[in-house]
Amino acid sequence: MTFALGALVLSASMGALSYFTTRHFLVGERESTAVHDAVVNAIYVSQNIAAQTTDIVQILTTADKITPNSNSHSLLEERGSVWYERTFSVTQSEIPASLRSLVLRRGTPGSQTYTFDGRTQIAVGIPIKSVQGAYFEIFDVSELGHTLRVLALAIFGAGAVTTLLGAVLGRWASGRSLRPLTGVSRAAVAISEGDLGTRLVSAAGDPDLAALTSSFNRMVDQLQERIEREARFTSDVSHELRSPLTTLAASLEVLEAQASSLSPTGRRALELLSADVRRFQRMVGDLLEISRSDSGAAEVSLEEVDPGELVRQAVAAAQRSLPPDVPAPPVEVDPAVAGTHLWVDKRRFERVISNLLENASLYGGGATLVRVAPGDVVAADGRSVLVSVEDAGPGLAPTERTKVFERFYRGHTAFQRGTGTGTGLGLALVAEHVRLHGGHVWAEESGSGGARFTVELPGHLAETDDEHELSPGGIEA
Amino acid sequence: MASRILVVEDDERIRSSMRLALEAEGYEIDEAASGEEALELFSEHPADVVLIDLMLPGMDGFECCRALRRQSAVPIIIVTARADTHDVVAGLEAGADDYVTKPFVTKELGARIRALLRRVRPVDEQPTVLAFGDLELVPEEGVLRHAGEGGEVHCTKTEFRLLCELASSPNKVLSREQLLDRVWGYDYFGDGRLVDVHIRRLRTKIEPDPALPRHILTVRGMGYKLVP
Repeated sequence: MTFALGALVLSASMGALSYFTTRHFLVGERESTAVHDAVVNAIYVSQNIAAQTTDIVQILTTADKITPNSNSHSLLEERGSVWYERTFSVTQSEIPASLRSLVLRRGTPGSQTYTFDGRTQIAVGIPIKSVQGAYFEIFDVSELGHTLRVLALAIFGAGAVTTLLGAVLGRWASGRSLRPLTGVSRAAVAISEGDLGTRLVSAAGDPDLAALTSSFNRMVDQLQERIEREARFTSDVSHELRSPLTTLAASLEVLEAQASSLSPTGRRALELLSADVRRFQRMVGDLLEISRSDSGAAEVSLEEVDPGELVRQAVAAAQRSLPPDVPAPPVEVDPAVAGTHLWVDKRRFERVISNLLENASLYGGGATLVRVAPGDVVAADGRSVLVSVEDAGPGLAPTERTKVFERFYRGHTAFQRGTGTGTGLGLALVAEHVRLHGGHVWAEESGSGGARFTVELPGHLAETDDEHELSPGGIEA
Repeated sequence: MASRILVVEDDERIRSSMRLALEAEGYEIDEAASGEEALELFSEHPADVVLIDLMLPGMDGFECCRALRRQSAVPIIIVTARADTHDVVAGLEAGADDYVTKPFVTKELGARIRALLRRVRPVDEQPTVLAFGDLELVPEEGVLRHAGEGGEVHCTKTEFRLLCELASSPNKVLSREQLLDRVWGYDYFGDGRLVDVHIRRLRTKIEPDPALPRHILTVRGMGYKLVP
């Protein structure tokens, strides 16, 4: 846009400049020709008058013929009042008064360009002392005006074309010069979304761009190295913790089997020990899971499932890992979901549900409802599916609703049940698992004032014809 | 007589604790600190189940698994770092029947071992010989052979049980969940890759062209079925 405006201003001023220069030059040229012709004629006229060979009109006619190239008319003024002229087409009134007074009163030759009756004319006056008058010649230079009009038109046309070309060229050039920046911004977005493998292709030719590209890539290299080092560290720590933990857990189970032979104090100590070893075990498992996800090494093995069946099974499975006194929540499946299937990694989904139920049991007095309903996101091959877990606890303050998905975030613990606490990674893992499925999760207030966690997953229409498509590798894919 | 379990694990403390825990469940335990030692021990005292940690010094768990498989159909459980890595599939392809992830709960490990030791479940009114293609399956004898010349096809106990489940309801689609439940004793959230890898291995043994199976067919989005 700026470029087009620039082109407009530039072409307009260039046009105007060349128009006026050309006009000045052409008019000047024509004027000097006219003066030259008029001087020649004036000499001829004054010599003939002095010789008194023929009458004055005859002399003037001949004078006009000496310079045949110009469309001119000669006039002669004698003693300030008597006018001789070749034809009646031109009269002395056409001569500008200022020129006449200059020539007659001052006795100085002069010329003037002016417009008379729509025509451009040049009048040249030369005093002739022998007749106490002056010789005037009027040149019709209308063709000059015509030329100038054509010139103006041509310049205007050229200006318009230049402006247009400028706009097009500007767009192209700015697109071209901004292309590397578009690349940079696209790469930055990709990197911020977690794709650390993104690099800029080094631009050949432009040294400025090459410098930008290499320093950008160097920065991303360092960032990636750092992130990977951190993820590796978490992963290494978790791995190293696993071995002693395996020994601990196995030995503890042996002890638990013999708990009846321990003293009450010993049994209490064993209970505390086993509860925390189990928690520790889960925490290490969760940390490993999260560090795999962070380093981009998480693998998802997707299966096609019916959402209602999936959620019912997941709730039943999750219930087994919760304390026996926590009642199982009812599972409500909206009939509108029928016919929609999901692609899920069942292991991960089971963790999503069991973590949400555990969270409800720890902070919300237990889940009161698990609901499966159609979502609002409609894609070409089906609509999304919402799975929500509600509790009747104190709910979440609006400021807490995103924070609860952070790692090791601890909210208010007023409603926390028992002594057992979570790993602090439960909801962070929920978010991570859901993200790996291309879905998202959020927390809000349930109808009864408790908390509601909703998972939205992309769904697709189930094939109605299930029996007939036989493909050897299909299901393993 | 108690079942014998060979534990292949390089960490001595884990080995000891596993021995304690599994002995408490009533198993007899053999310990091996490396793959080489495990193979030697196994040829002297064949175990009923082998537990192999994938990360071993020297010969790794995969190689140990393959070497054992070459000489025996013994059920093998691999112990792996994570369930979502290539390790699981690579271990299953090396011949393992099942896997557990560290740190595992001994009760869960016990359940996996019991499922693998379980005999083929007798199905009511099941014919003694199941036939498909030119193959004959005799569940009670644990034999799979070619009908004509009678040459036996060697497969592991898990592969055999999987084939029995499919062959006892010919032309009926069995979902992966059903197969996981009946063969491995898993619930709905068992790992479907167990079924897929075992089906793949079975195909290489019984299908003339494993890439274009004629007997064990995949039914997209549903499961597998056996066509005689």
